[in-house]
Amino acid sequence: MIEIPIEKKVLSENQRVAEELRTSLADSGTLSLNFIGSPGAGKTAFLERTLASLPARTQVAVLTGDLQTENDAIRLARYGYPVRQINTVGACHLDARMVEKHLEGWDLAGLDLLFIENVGNLVCPTSYDLGEDAKVVVLSVCEGEDKPLKYPGIFRKAELMILNKVDLLPYVPFKPDLAREYARRVHPEIEIIETSAITGAGFDRWLEWLHVRAAHKKASLKEAEHALAGTRSW
Amino acid sequence: MGIAASILEAVEKELVRYPGYRAAKIGVRIGEYAGVDSESLRFCFEAIVKDSPLAPLELGIERRDGDELDLGSLELEEVAA
Repeated sequence: MIEIPIEKKVLSENQRVAEELRTSLADSGTLSLNFIGSPGAGKTAFLERTLASLPARTQVAVLTGDLQTENDAIRLARYGYPVRQINTVGACHLDARMVEKHLEGWDLAGLDLLFIENVGNLVCPTSYDLGEDAKVVVLSVCEGEDKPLKYPGIFRKAELMILNKVDLLPYVPFKPDLAREYARRVHPEIEIIETSAITGAGFDRWLEWLHVRAAHKKASLKEAEHALAGTRSW
Repeated sequence: MGIAASILEAVEKELVRYPGYRAAKIGVRIGEYAGVDSESLRFCFEAIVKDSPLAPLELGIERRDGDELDLGSLELEEVAA
């Protein structure tokens, strides 16, 4: 009997593809966000409202994942931006290769934003890096406040928590303070924005967050180009 | 299931480097925040191993505090000629 150390990530092949995607998206200055939440958390409605609210010149593309149907892509395509549906045909998460395949033929140059709506699931998508700049977890007030404690992985990895459907707060026994406390117990630095895709509540704050992150990504690209130009002239 | 399949792929790749050996046990380290349930992974792993050329292959799971999902060590047995 011999024992050999392997010492690599279980999902090392996914990680390799994700890093290639990350490099491509860095080269184009595209901010990529991976939206993760339970089925019915309101991810698609949230993205619809976002697409409808973006400044006219924004270049954005959307990938949306589901086990079956083109329903979400049809909904999201109404806003005039390129949208592709990823049908996982049984898989409960998107992986980096699916994203790579569905980006084929799209010119990333000039693309400001790439939204990836993951399959509705708070568990498995947590493990798969899609080359995104940040994971965004969407929790709705129709769920339990203790979701961050029950599914800590995604709340720990997400940079932003969207607390969605706040227009329903008068009708459900959800306690937002408790949800915030639980989320910060798992991830003290997580940012939290309360939104309603129906009324538009909180979208000014969300769009500001998006604008700042996208500008930061573009600035990183310009810095890299400047450094490269400097190297060339020198 | 995808994670279980990834573990098997990694074992197959390693075995190519060790002719004359079979894999007996593969170790995996799973962090509390990895988003992976150990028992679900074991169930999926056993389901796909039993009909594969790697059977019988044991899965050793070591729980950790962080968010890692890493392969540890692979135990190999010499196959009788």
